[in-house]
Parts: sequence; C-alpha cells; structure tokens
Amino acid sequence: MADQETSTALPLSTEAKKRRAPKAPELPIVERRNWLIHQHYIRKDYDTCKAIVKEQLQETNGMCEYAIYVQALILRLEGKIQQSLELFQSCAILNPSSADNLKQVARSLFLLGKHKAAIEFYHEAARLNETDWEISHNLGMCCFFIKDFKNAEEHLGTALQINKHEKTFMVLGKVHLLAGDTDKAIEVYKRAVEYFPENTELLSTLGLLFLQLGKYQKAFEHLGNALTFDPNNYKAILAAGSMMQTHGDFDVAMNKYRVAACVVPESPPLWNNIGMCFFGKKKYVAAISCLKRAHYLSPFDWKVLYNLGLVHLTMQQYASAFHFLSAAINLNPRMGELFMLLAVALTNLEDVENATRSYEQAVTLDESNPLVNLNFAIFLYNHGDKIAALNQYQEMESKVNLLRDSSSNFEFDAELIDMAQKMGTALHVAESLVWTKPGKDSKSKPNSAAATKTPGAPLGTNQALGQAMSSAASYNKNIQLPTGVSKDTSPLEPEPDVEKAPSPPSDPPGSPQPAEYDKPRSSKTKTKVEE
Amino acid sequence: MSESSCDGGRWLDAHYDPVAGLYTFSSCVDLADLSGDGESRLLVGDLGSGSSGMKLKVFRGTALLSESTLLDLPTGLVAFFMDLHEPRIPAVAVASGPCVYVYKNLRPYFKFTLPGLEVNTLEQDVWQQAREGHIDPVTLKEMLEGVREKADVPLSVRSLRFLSLETSDMDEFVQLHKQQPIRRQTVITCIGTLKKSTADEDGVSCLVIGTESSDVYVLDPEAFIILSKMSLPAPPTMMDVTGQFDVEFRVTVACRNGNIYILRRDSDKPKYCVELSSHPVGLVRVGKSVVVGCTDESLQGFTQKGKRLWRTILPAPITTMAAMDLPTRGFQAVLVGLANCDVQLYRDKNLLSTIKTPDVVTSICFGRYGREDGTLIMTTKGGGMMVKILKRTATFDDRDSAPGPPLAQGVRLNVPKKTKLYVDQTLRERENGVAMHRAFQMDLSRMRLAAAKAYVKALESSLAPVSSSLSEPLKMNAVVQGLGPSFKLTLNVQNTAACRPVMNLAVSFLYDESLYRMRNPYMRIPLLVPGLVYPVETFVECTSDKGISDIIKVFVLHEGKSRPLLTAHINMPVSEGLTLH
Repeated sequence: MADQETSTALPLSTEAKKRRAPKAPELPIVERRNWLIHQHYIRKDYDTCKAIVKEQLQETNGMCEYAIYVQALILRLEGKIQQSLELFQSCAILNPSSADNLKQVARSLFLLGKHKAAIEFYHEAARLNETDWEISHNLGMCCFFIKDFKNAEEHLGTALQINKHEKTFMVLGKVHLLAGDTDKAIEVYKRAVEYFPENTELLSTLGLLFLQLGKYQKAFEHLGNALTFDPNNYKAILAAGSMMQTHGDFDVAMNKYRVAACVVPESPPLWNNIGMCFFGKKKYVAAISCLKRAHYLSPFDWKVLYNLGLVHLTMQQYASAFHFLSAAINLNPRMGELFMLLAVALTNLEDVENATRSYEQAVTLDESNPLVNLNFAIFLYNHGDKIAALNQYQEMESKVNLLRDSSSNFEFDAELIDMAQKMGTALHVAESLVWTKPGKDSKSKPNSAAATKTPGAPLGTNQALGQAMSSAASYNKNIQLPTGVSKDTSPLEPEPDVEKAPSPPSDPPGSPQPAEYDKPRSSKTKTKVEE
Repeated sequence: MSESSCDGGRWLDAHYDPVAGLYTFSSCVDLADLSGDGESRLLVGDLGSGSSGMKLKVFRGTALLSESTLLDLPTGLVAFFMDLHEPRIPAVAVASGPCVYVYKNLRPYFKFTLPGLEVNTLEQDVWQQAREGHIDPVTLKEMLEGVREKADVPLSVRSLRFLSLETSDMDEFVQLHKQQPIRRQTVITCIGTLKKSTADEDGVSCLVIGTESSDVYVLDPEAFIILSKMSLPAPPTMMDVTGQFDVEFRVTVACRNGNIYILRRDSDKPKYCVELSSHPVGLVRVGKSVVVGCTDESLQGFTQKGKRLWRTILPAPITTMAAMDLPTRGFQAVLVGLANCDVQLYRDKNLLSTIKTPDVVTSICFGRYGREDGTLIMTTKGGGMMVKILKRTATFDDRDSAPGPPLAQGVRLNVPKKTKLYVDQTLRERENGVAMHRAFQMDLSRMRLAAAKAYVKALESSLAPVSSSLSEPLKMNAVVQGLGPSFKLTLNVQNTAACRPVMNLAVSFLYDESLYRMRNPYMRIPLLVPGLVYPVETFVECTSDKGISDIIKVFVLHEGKSRPLLTAHINMPVSEGLTLH
C-alpha cells in the first residue's frame, strides 16, 4: 500500500486529479482553513481573520462551523452581541452535539443580561459535557447576577471541584460577601491564596477583608505580599498606606502613595489619604491642596469634606471650615463628630446660638465618643452654664467607663485626659475615681507614644513593614493625631481637643477600595477598632 | 530599561529585506543543512496570498535559492532525517491540507495522505438509495437533514454541500457525484518530529501529525505507516515533541479549546491536562519546562506534568514565540514576538533583553544559518524578512526580577506650591473670619428671600411652564429643531390631571417681529386627555441676518380668559443660515 503510493509522486497525483475533474470535482474539505482562522484569531489579527472567514464561508456555502464560530467570537469582541448570539445559534444548528456552541450561546445571552435564558443553555451544555469547569463557573456567575446566592455557591463549588481557577475563587468570595457571610468569604480567599500565592488580587482582597475585621497584623501580611508581587497594586498600596498612616509612618505611607499616584492619578481616596499624610506632617497648605483635589474628583464624598473641615479648623480658617463641615453634614447627617466640629467652627465664628444647637445635635447622635461631651462641657462652662457643663462631664465619664470596660487596653489620648482633668477641677468635681486609672495612663502616655514611634522609624522596605505592623495590631486611632496649633491656649479652650477628636485615620480603612467606600461600613470599622 | 539600549550591542544586523513578500508562521519556518556541505539553509513555507501562490522557499544567505509551488496552504514544515544514508541530508516534510509532502534534495519524493475518517452508515445508505434511483433529490435532502440532526458521526463534505444547494441545482449535483464513494477527509493542523530510537542530533525521526479530527499520528519515517494514533478532546493547534519513540516520549499539544494536553507513549489518551484561562498563542519547551504564551498577554511556565510554575505579564499581545537554544554556550531562552514591534527574550520569568523591530514579527526561528550558529530569523507582518546574528561576545546576565522599589516611588507628588495670594487670603480669613461668615450668612438669607419672592411671583402670574391649578394642571416643554433660518418649534403639552380632560385651550406667541416671522402665531389646542403628550408644531423663520437671537415667549391660554395658564420662554438659537430672497 505504502509502496504503491510512493510511486505516485506529486506531479502524477495532480495529473490524476485533473483527469478526474470534469466528472466529479473534488469538493474542498470544509475544515481546511480552520487552523489558519484560528491562528489569526489568537494573534488578534481580526481583519485578516474576517477576510479568511468570509472566503471560507463563500467556498462552503456557509457550512463551515468553525468559521461561523470565530466570526461570532469576533463580533462579540466588537460589541455586537446580538449578532454574535444569532451566529452561535446557527453554529449550534450545524453541530447540535457540541457543548461549546451552547456555551457560547449562553455566554452571549449572559452578556446581553438575559441570565435566566443563559442558565437554561448552560444546563443544556452541562448535559453534553458534565465535567466542564467553565460551565459550572458561568452558571455560578449567572446565579450571582440574579442574586440567587445559594445556587451560585453550589455551582461555583462544583467548578472548584473540577478545576481550581482564580476567577472562580474570586466570584465565590464575592458571593459570600454579598450574602453577608464574611467568615466564609475569608475561608474561600484563604484557600485561594494557598493555590495561587502570587495572585495579587486575591491577596489584596483578603488583606482588605482582614482590615475590615480589625485583624491588622494578618491584613498587613497579605497586603505586604500583594505589594511584593506587584509593587504597583493600587488597592494594596492604599490599604497598606492607610495602615501605616494610622500608625504614624507618614513618610513611608507617602512613598507608597507616590507609586499609586502614578498608576491612578485621579483617585479621590488616594488624594484624601495623601492630604491627611501632609496633615500629619503638619504641612497644612499641601494637605489642603491635596484634599481639595480629592474633593474636586469626588465632590459628594463626606469624608473628604470632613477632613477639609478639620484642616481648616486647624488653620483657624473657621469660615471655610464651616462651609466644608456643613456640606459634609448635608451628605451625612447622622454623625455626631461632624456636628461637634461644626459647633467648634461656630463657636469661633461667635455664633453661640447655633453652636449650642449643633452641640446638642452632636450629643444626641453620638454614642461612644467622650470627646463630644467634653467639648460641649467646655463650651457650656465657657458660657457660664456650669450645671449643664457638669451634666455633660458626667456623660463623658460614663462613656469613658463604658469604653474601658469593653476593652481593657483601650488607650485614651493624652490631651483628652489632660483636658478632662482640668475641666474636672474647674467644675469642682470631687477627684473622681474614673480618672485615677487613666491618670496613670496619662503619665505613662508620653513614654508609650515615644515607644511606638521608635519601631515605626525603620519602616522603609516591604520586609520591615510586616514587622512594624505587628505593633500596629494594638494600634489606637488616636496615637498619631496631630496636636494642634493652639498649644498655649488657656486650658478651657476647646480647640486643642477638637483637633484630636476627628479621626482622620478612620477614613483610610474604608477608602482603599472605592467599592467598599460606603458610610455604614467605615463606621463599623471604627467601632471595631475601639473594642 | 538599560537592556534595550545595549541590545544593539548583542545582535549584528545581517540582513533586512522589508519586501521579501513572505506570509508565514513560526511553524512553517525551519533551518537545515540540505546539501550536506555544513551550511544551513532557511526553509519557508510561504502561504502566498492566503489563497494562491503558496510556495516552499529555500534561502541561502540573503538569496532565494529555490522555490517550488505547493498545492494547498502549508500548515507546518519540518526538516527531518528519514533514513541512515550518507551523506546525512535531511528531508523536508510540508504539511498541507490532508497530506504531508516529503521532499528530498528539494525534489518531491513522497506524498502521505491521512486515512479517511469513518463515514456515517446511514448517510451511506441514503446515497446508495439515491444512486439506485429509489429516491429523488428532495427526499434525499430531507433524509440527510434527519441524519445530520441525530448522527454521532458528522456528514461528509458532499452531503453538506448538497444540503446547502438550491432545489434546482440538486439534481445535477446528485448526477455528478452519486457514482463516487463517500469519503470524509480531515486536514493537518500541526506537525512535529520525534526521534525514532536514538537521541542523536542526526538520528532518524518520525513525523508527528495533529489533525482537525483531534487525532495525533506518529508516522514511520521509512515506510510512512502509522505507528501510533492518539486522540485528543479538541483539534490541536501547536505541539512540542520530546523523547524517542521507541523509548519514551512526550507530546505537549495546545488545543483549540484553550487547553494543553500532554500525551505519553503508554496511552492514547492525554495523560495530563492544563486548563488555561485564555487561548495559547505560542508553546515552547525549554529544558524540562514548557513555556506558553497566552492571548491574555501573559507568559506562563509549566512543568512536564502540567503544573504551573510561574506567570508573568507582557506589555503587548503575543504574535509568535520560538525557542532560543545555544548548546555551545548552554544557553536556553524563549523569544516572544509582541504586537508592539518588540521581540523579548525571556529566561523563565525574567526578561533578558528586548529587540526593537520595524514591523510586527509574525514568525521567529533561531538556529544555525549558513555557518553561523546563533542566527535569528524573523518575518514580519508586512512580509519582510530580517536576519540577525548573535555576537559571540554577547552575554545575557540573568538579573532576578525583584527590582526593589518601583521607579514611581521617586517621582515627586504633583502638589501645587504655596502662593502668596493663598497665604494672603488665609490671613485675611483668619483676621476677619467672623465678619466674613456674617456677611455670607446675611447675603445667603437675602438671596433665599429674593428667590422665594421671584418664585411666588412666577406662580402668581403663571410665568412657569407648569401649571398646578386644580382645574387645568398642565405641563409644557418646547423643542427647537433646525439650523436656521427656519426652525421647527414643537411644544409638548401634557395634561397632568388624574382623569379630567382639559378643553378650550389655545397657544399664542410673543416675539420680536423684526427678528422672527411665525407661520401661525395663534393655535388652538385640542382636547387634552390626561397623561398623553400632545405635540403642537409650528415653524419660525428668522428674518435677520445679523446673527442675533432672541427669546420667544409661549403662552397657553384658556379661551375667554386673558391671564395665561402657563408661560414658557424659548431661547432661540442663532440662525446659522441666511434667508433666501
């Protein structure tokens, strides 16, 4: 057989073909150029690809399944989803036994937002090919989009059993998060990170989740890993930067932010954080210009407005502060601290009546911040209402007790304690027991603050960060708060406290990921921090 | 970044012909010593125009040595030793359509045709009946369609073509073809070589062929019989073969479904499978690892068992890939052609160097050309051919890709400088903050008052385009269309009452008669059914050619009442054309 063929060398065979030709022309093989179409398709040379497809379809009268398939794929890439859907459907008619055609039909339906129809097609495809990771994954995606989290979880789980893909882990984690099950989401991401230790997206997402739960050490570990593999990872930079900022390492945080500023130069949270870094370094003018940029980029973000108000208060620009704070209150009318700041601005603008009203509002809204009551007490005292001031003072003491009961190592800001004690003396409150313990604290405080700063100093490299953040686990939001301008003011002036009160660092944890940048969550983070 | 600058130092530009007119892929390019004189020739399977002019071209140095016409598109080309004759001259195998053409001494020597595929028995029966004249073409079509829908085995080309024909052409087609036996053929999609029994450089090799029917065949080099047949779940697109057929071998195949399968000697089914998240564009083996370039602009390294070792992101989509192997220096790396006109050299995940090319590279081949061991041959999208020679002094230092802090860390933040004006304003605010605040509050209250007054006035005199009176709650908006001098003015009037219709309404206009002329300045509005929008149209002509515009006031009136129900002010656009007189 082989020998016979050997004798018919090339020229002969062509001649033979020619002789037969008039009788019954050799029909070209339908699939003969599939490989060429594929080669051009994967090289993203879509123009050539379309030309070949067209030629091939002419030659075969539209019977070449793969040519239609690729044409549909290209149409879909060009955004003509409806057309691609029709072509995929004709592919499915040409070859009804192919699961791939059904998968693509479903995929087009999915992109058109017809999730239920897509699910049906995926189920049909699953009947043809039972162990296909992609089908299960996409089924999960469809269920996820129609908010059927239970089924989504199930399908994604199946997909993971068949084959472990990063995408599937990512979606499964999201499903858990949307279903409100953070613990399960963390489990999923942990597992994912085991399989894909270099995937920065998984690492940074896990880091952010830990950050939300207040597990700072773990959060920092994962964020640091993400940064090692991709030093330009915006999400990780912002989250890690905000943690360093909280810890007082403004220069290191700034270094990281500089990288992010090159990658995403128009990010409001980034400029907000940079602004607060400058604020921490007492470069107020730079802080204001950065915050104003953040405000320009995201005008309806109350956190930026809050910080702007705070910086302007520090700069003694009370009229401007008033505007920023009232804008912030318009956007977020449920936050006690905002009203307190507004009251401080109003006090300085000599509008006692409105300041009182603002303080009253602040006290009704706030639940846990002793500062609000202390400032109100000082304000009342300064305006001669000693009884009301005493009331507020006692209110403050109960909040302090509550805070200390809830967590044994809660550190109060030194200046707050100092001011409270002075206030206590001024109100002639009997040397209350409440402050005996914090009194000790306040003495040791300067030392402890210095101690935390020393390990913070060498933070410069990624490796050092992890080590440094171990001390951040016990961090306290008040540590790095700037001590304001008015150092030499009389003890009963409210300003010095005011500057510490608002917690700029409480913003950053929420800000790294704009998606999570909603108010309730960030306030949750804050309460967690204090526990 | 320093590599790219010193890259010219590593390669000598030997030859560049931008109009060589080559259309080919890396799979269709090979280097071989075809005459046994120790000088390697370049073999290129040229796809011509993509439909005609396919040629097998042989280059020597910068000159085209010979070319022979190919009947169909070449899918792959390999040079291999098919016998033990002296002098050791390799044969050339060109895969094209369903055949492999083997050339010896650049002369056609042998043609191997893939075995036909299994034909659907039902289909065969149906055609048999047609041949015997039992059924007419229309019935034949119906039956074939029935077969197509149910069959596991796809129909032959003939039946498919028949099904796509018009009724009038069917009879002729059947007459022409019915005598021929039905055949189903497949085409070759990729080709490779596999050493038969020795690992020697010039040992006899088998051909390994991947086909559209998702099979892989290993051919005996002397008798051209199929030694082994393996099947895959999808048609293969690229393959890499290593080992010896008689001992142990491994075929790594990238398939059209985006997966990579690894076949071994002992099984006709894939042993391992790698599911990629995007299609593979290039597949190259370096030592014991397999490097795959994907359409998602990534380069990934796998072990022989399909475990992913690393992944790195590339700056642009991949166009082609090839191995760079310099056995004399023990240097192995991967060349990656990118769509941004770069060719990058990677060892594992580390970028060693970047070569800039004047056009996008479509095929790369590295090896011995002429008498030069380290020659890089590239063809470009525009059909150009480029030959570069690696300098003997060139070194590639393997820097680990942990470059420390990114460059951006040194870039200063774009924070504006403190200006004197800003400082002055700040100081002013500090000094006069209270006064400023009070003035602002005062003005704000005044403005609110003024706004409220204006609003009340508008409501009282029905100046607003919305009327909320209980008897005639109406809403109106106006649309002006046209560039001028004629404009079409459409008033959309809507009755916003829940169920009461409004009757006896009219529209009138107030405008500057020296500027505008209106076709009908007074119109009656029909009965307004609640909820529906009634468009009232009229034409306005601008009579001025001075390029000025004015306001036209629209009043909606109730018959018998002089006070308008509502008023709209239309800011007319400037007329962009001139009236013709």
